[in-house]
Amino acid sequence: MNEAIIKSPVLGEQYTQIKHPSGLTVLLCPMSGFSSAYALFAAKVGSIDTTFKTPGEDDFVEVPPGIAHFLEHKMFENEEGDAFQKYAATGASANAYTSFDRTAYLFSCSDNFPQAMEILLDFVSRPYFTPESVQKEQGIIGQEIQMYDDSPSWQTMVGLLESLYHNNPVRLDIAGTVESISEITADLLYRCYHTFYNLSNMVLAVAGSFDPQVVLDLCDKILKPQEEVEIQWRRADEPREVAAHRKAKALSVSVPMFQIGFKGEAGDTLQNLKAQVMDEILLEILCGESSPLYRRLYDQGLINATFEYEVLAGRDYLVPMYGGESRDPDAVYDAICREAERLCKEGIPADAFDWCRKATYGRYVGMYSRVDAVASLLVLTHFSGLENMYELLDLVRDLTLEDLTDRLGRDFQPRYSAVSIVEPV
Amino acid sequence: MSEYFKRTPLGEEIFFSSVRDPKFKHNSITVNFLIPLEEEKAAGRAVIPFLLCRGSRQHPDFTQLEQTLCRLYGADLDGDVSQYGEYQILSCSISSVDDRFALDGEAITDRCARLLGEIVLDPRIEDGAFPEEEVRLERQNLMDTIEAEVNEKRTYAINQCRREMSRGTRLAVNKYGTVKAAGAITPQSAARDYRELTSAARVEIIFVGCGDPEPVRQVFEGLFAGIRRQPVRHAPQPLAEQAGDPRRKVEHMDVVQSKLVLGMRPGALPDKRAIDAVRLMAYLYGGAPFALLFQNVREKMSLCYYCAARFDPSAGILMVDTGLEQSKRQQAETAILDQLGAIARGDFEAETLEAAKLAYTNSLGSVGDSLGAVENWCMTRILEGANYSPEDEAADIRAITAREVAQAAGRATLDTVYFLTGKEGTSHE
Repeated sequence: MNEAIIKSPVLGEQYTQIKHPSGLTVLLCPMSGFSSAYALFAAKVGSIDTTFKTPGEDDFVEVPPGIAHFLEHKMFENEEGDAFQKYAATGASANAYTSFDRTAYLFSCSDNFPQAMEILLDFVSRPYFTPESVQKEQGIIGQEIQMYDDSPSWQTMVGLLESLYHNNPVRLDIAGTVESISEITADLLYRCYHTFYNLSNMVLAVAGSFDPQVVLDLCDKILKPQEEVEIQWRRADEPREVAAHRKAKALSVSVPMFQIGFKGEAGDTLQNLKAQVMDEILLEILCGESSPLYRRLYDQGLINATFEYEVLAGRDYLVPMYGGESRDPDAVYDAICREAERLCKEGIPADAFDWCRKATYGRYVGMYSRVDAVASLLVLTHFSGLENMYELLDLVRDLTLEDLTDRLGRDFQPRYSAVSIVEPV
Repeated sequence: MSEYFKRTPLGEEIFFSSVRDPKFKHNSITVNFLIPLEEEKAAGRAVIPFLLCRGSRQHPDFTQLEQTLCRLYGADLDGDVSQYGEYQILSCSISSVDDRFALDGEAITDRCARLLGEIVLDPRIEDGAFPEEEVRLERQNLMDTIEAEVNEKRTYAINQCRREMSRGTRLAVNKYGTVKAAGAITPQSAARDYRELTSAARVEIIFVGCGDPEPVRQVFEGLFAGIRRQPVRHAPQPLAEQAGDPRRKVEHMDVVQSKLVLGMRPGALPDKRAIDAVRLMAYLYGGAPFALLFQNVREKMSLCYYCAARFDPSAGILMVDTGLEQSKRQQAETAILDQLGAIARGDFEAETLEAAKLAYTNSLGSVGDSLGAVENWCMTRILEGANYSPEDEAADIRAITAREVAQAAGRATLDTVYFLTGKEGTSHE
């Protein structure tokens, strides 16, 4: 077993990285003083993985949009019943999620950790799909899709991605559509499972109060060595320009809601993660609460306390974005584009860079004292190819004004931007 | 039971509570003003935390204030309005990374405590008025916030049912007040409401973090010493225990998925043990994926997408909410009440009850691992007039018997059925 201890002198903490004989990477971060543990068993597969192939196959296979999310739902069930029933005997709180490029199964507990960990490793390792259970799930997920149809915040996000991207599957809803999921069969689910749930394409991350040896013993007991699978993802043929600069739809909302985003030039996952950190700082400088533009828009009543920013970054996509409510989202969009142009031309003020970097540093330090955030950081940094979790903090500390100026000029341009609006009916 | 947090008085109806835990890397300080909810005054008071967080006399410029916060390693200054039973709670808080992580050795926590004190007690009031421009903006923002409740349909439906159940009482008052009252806020009225709040409200200051709370306590003790106080004493009305004939309300909106909410009264709750029995019963009923509502109404009968139960002891309301297709409304309502009946008859597995206890106590076990959860725990206990730990609560929950759970379900009576659905003729069946 290949084992490495990774330390952070700044935080005075450490974790262990293990390459288990099964092929799985195991990341263990016991945290002193904590009462609960948080475990994530994640696969590098998400809603964007609709076209792929393995070396033994002649051609790329295309699967219906929404299949990764469907698979996540179905994994909880096998011949013996559903995993939630088993978790019930431990008290652990279990869940799972599918994002654009990742699927993760998780639990948190403050007691009965070995039992909960055994359930997690066991059910994710044993797929069981039947035509009947697939049909039943189609009904349940159909209702989930309907629920999101009514969610204005989600609809603005979907609208933004549809505007920014022509062909990249990130423009498709994570859950798919009622039509696309009707094409899913048990065979297709097995195909996806055996491709993406190969242990070499997965990671197990645990943080908080637990005994690392228990995790390793359970891995030995449950996980069978697997031959590493090499997955080829077909990168969508995506033009640099956006598909549309504006998209609007109507829902039952009181005031218009919006998302404004820039289509970043996506590199590999590591480049995208580094760009994400820089973009978080750039979004603060451009129109964060400490910026002159935020003040101007707020004083004009064009934005309110719901205004916020985030960066959506992953395999093949990178979108720094702002969202919130506004009586005139087009005016907000226009102002943000003009400010980005002005900053590109006049340069980023050195003092703004300094205080925004400090603020980001403080926020990142905070993440290392939450068990759920630590487990998520372990998965994120591993899948992104960053050498270790603490490097993220070094990345923020060591950023230079030149790095940021370069990023700003590359992607924060009106021609790569779009606004998505949900208007009142 | 041992005391979970340390609580000391700083003045008349002013208290400072703290929990220190070295495992955290942040410190959080919150100043809460507690005042009985009043329909006509709620909006005027709700705007105060947001006005305060826009700046103080020493930091009159919002942008410069935000830049100061950034230099304090992204210290987070927030205004908030919440509700607990008949109380409206107006809060200003600051959280920041501990001094030991400062890159240049700055004293972050002390500066944050002083800054928060300044924000709360030294606002920009000149000639008996807040700045007109700030009031204009925050008044509009408050009106938008009140109107935006409708955007997220699940929360909206729950609130509508709750209001319907509490009509004519303080519990029905929206914590943000009404659009009409918000629209009438002026720079002068805001200043008057602020003065009244600092004089009349109970003040609860809470510190949670890895740092030393004592210097922070001293900062606030000094600041509040100069405030003239005339605290109001309030005795909340007894909560409704039994429902009369169920009330029904249907609302139409342009939605794809319908929302059905059943509001119930929990019966008499003479002591903490009775309350704990309802808490545990709600967990067994619809608090987790193994619960009866999820297993039967969603999984076996496929009547809805989600179906959850929750109990709010501060309002005396047991509630079930579900998202479903319009055509399944009647079946779902019957099935939801059938499951309650099953619990009342004791018709549930011992292992399902054990699972509910485990899940409940497990979640209590993780309270101490989050700054926010610890602060919430302290605040809720303060409002209950108690001081016990999550571990104490876990022991109480474990002691509840199956018979007590069945009795709790048997005492619940249906008060209100609220249904939010698509416009007639346009709903998706």
